[in-house]
Amino acid sequence: MSPAAQDWQRLSGLALVFIIANSVQKTIRENLFLFAGAGAGAAFTDWLGLREFGLLLLLFLLLSVLGGLIYHRRFRFRLEQDAVRVRRGLIEQKELRIRFARVQNIQIGEPFYFRPFGLVRFSLQTPGAAEKEVELPGIPRQLALDMRDRIAQQREDPQAADGAAEGAADALVYRAWAGRLFLHGLSSNQVWVLAGLFFYVGGNLLDRLSDRFEPYLETAAESIEAAWWWAPGLLALLLLVLFTLSGLLAIVRFHDYRLSDLGARLVAVAGLLDRREQTIRRPKITGLLLRQSPVGRLLGCWTLTVHQTQSGMQVDDGGKSSFLIPGLRSVDLPVTARLLEGASLPREFNGVSARFRQFAWSRLLLGLVLAVLLIMLLLGRHHWSLPWLAAGSVLALPLLHWRFRCWGWALQGSRLWVRRGLLGQRVDAFDLERVQQASLTTSPYLRRHDLATLNLVLPHGPVSVPFLPEAVAAELANRAIYAAETALGHQV
Amino acid sequence: MSAEQDSRLPEPSRWSDPLPEERQMAALPRFSNDAIDPGLLPEFQRASLHPVSPRFVYYAVTANVVSWAVVIALVIAVPRLPMVNFELPAWLPLVPLALMLWSCLVGALDANRRRWVLREHDLIYRSGLIWQRTAILPFARIQHVETASGPIERLFGLMRVKCFTAGGMSADLTVEGLERDAARRVRQYLLEQISDEDTAARATAEADAE
Repeated sequence: MSPAAQDWQRLSGLALVFIIANSVQKTIRENLFLFAGAGAGAAFTDWLGLREFGLLLLLFLLLSVLGGLIYHRRFRFRLEQDAVRVRRGLIEQKELRIRFARVQNIQIGEPFYFRPFGLVRFSLQTPGAAEKEVELPGIPRQLALDMRDRIAQQREDPQAADGAAEGAADALVYRAWAGRLFLHGLSSNQVWVLAGLFFYVGGNLLDRLSDRFEPYLETAAESIEAAWWWAPGLLALLLLVLFTLSGLLAIVRFHDYRLSDLGARLVAVAGLLDRREQTIRRPKITGLLLRQSPVGRLLGCWTLTVHQTQSGMQVDDGGKSSFLIPGLRSVDLPVTARLLEGASLPREFNGVSARFRQFAWSRLLLGLVLAVLLIMLLLGRHHWSLPWLAAGSVLALPLLHWRFRCWGWALQGSRLWVRRGLLGQRVDAFDLERVQQASLTTSPYLRRHDLATLNLVLPHGPVSVPFLPEAVAAELANRAIYAAETALGHQV
Repeated sequence: MSAEQDSRLPEPSRWSDPLPEERQMAALPRFSNDAIDPGLLPEFQRASLHPVSPRFVYYAVTANVVSWAVVIALVIAVPRLPMVNFELPAWLPLVPLALMLWSCLVGALDANRRRWVLREHDLIYRSGLIWQRTAILPFARIQHVETASGPIERLFGLMRVKCFTAGGMSADLTVEGLERDAARRVRQYLLEQISDEDTAARATAEADAE
């Protein structure tokens, strides 16, 4: 690293574009539902003319630009021997120092408008932080790479330098092409988020705008009413569009996905418009999560999330800060062994007690009887909801059976695998030495049948296995506690 | 349990056999995956737990009475306010009263059953009456410890010990119902244990580096 890097440095002028775009995007994302939906936003948009709306938009943009300018002007960062120091703040000045040894995740992003200028966005994450702790947008690419290598060469990762020297070609462990990524998009839950957003925002906007466009709508409404029986076809078309859109979004987000194993760290590079390089340090991996949505199960497509220590506030939603490996087929699953040494999806899982199904069914029937009695007493014997309730319960019986079949656990040495799900499935894998706390919970029903629920809390969140024979649950808890207590110090 | 003991132990039949991938991984440096005999593991069920302070029963009853008394007072007072023009049934205060009696009973029985113990390497805490929970927290996972006491706890000379870990709120453990001096001693003991674990970890890391 050059001596100049030790001085306080400013962000490049182009970083201003990123700061403003980011701030506008954040405001829109956080307030979209408020303004498109009910509440203050509805009252607000009702009396708003197009001119007022335009003026407000202009004011909002001006404020964003002004805020961005001040933030950019005050932002300073300095690299030290073992840390990075950042001074930032719009109204309140903050100074932050992050020791490289604490860093668990490094991201280097390359938005398309940074590319011609050789600039990147550099972010660092530490255990327990709610979001990216340090973000340096618009710094020279070489400086970011130097910092990344310096972090990897910290004492915790003595093999990092050797690993980096091996070269990316030998280290490539998984690559996802467009077809795989399209399948990932089809099977990810993103499509339902898109559908929800479309119906919610679209429906509300239509309500707001219907008064203004009433004359046009009246003529359109006649033809729509005449063709109401086209609705299933339209719905299918809409779903097709949403699925295709979700597939295309996945291709844009994960374009040319490459996962490389560089010894003490793993590096994933992906993205079309914003090419991101994510580096995760192997000692900071606390577990793996293999997921299959119901559509993913049909298509044979898996998604793998690499877990790290998270604060309680964080939600592992597969967002941009998650270390996510998309579009895996069953033949690619041995990649888990490169992430967590020796981890391979067990062929067989031990099930939970069949009392789980009995308990669920009996409580469902009890609830059904109570609901039927209440409806008959309050609404009459021939109420329309009674047959629907009965049909729903009949449908729920096999679903509860599937839920029961899906629960499973398998122990490979000191590594525990826990499977759960209903139509989709989630499989957690973690080393018992990572367990932060173990507990056994029993209810009167469980105690009567010598069963217990095992709860293991990991640095990335809790994992539970219900309805285990009490002796097995206690044994697993004892193994976990033994592994945690004989592990080398704090594994955070 | 030593490493030599582990390697001599047979693979327990109930756990799944190692997979071919696992056998390959055995060749990797710094990686071992020896089987552990579950029969030789220290069992948390065998630890003899101590009851919490007998004063915790009085605390549980008082805390329940105070919190439900607020609800009862509101149910009685609100219809009598000058700006309120509706009436509530005269029997309505009996509902929170019955709930208060029930929660006092459950609280007292739960308080009477709470148990805890400090072992060499962990803390065990058992709580709950209907839903019973036994939690084990290794000292090596504790990030920091604090003691706290509310006004009612202070009235009975009680104190809570809160242990914070890296797993967020779900991994934290609070031991309620300790007498003030005992809670302070537990906090001190835990802090010493954490610092010992840190020193040991640093020494091991330094030895590895050399």
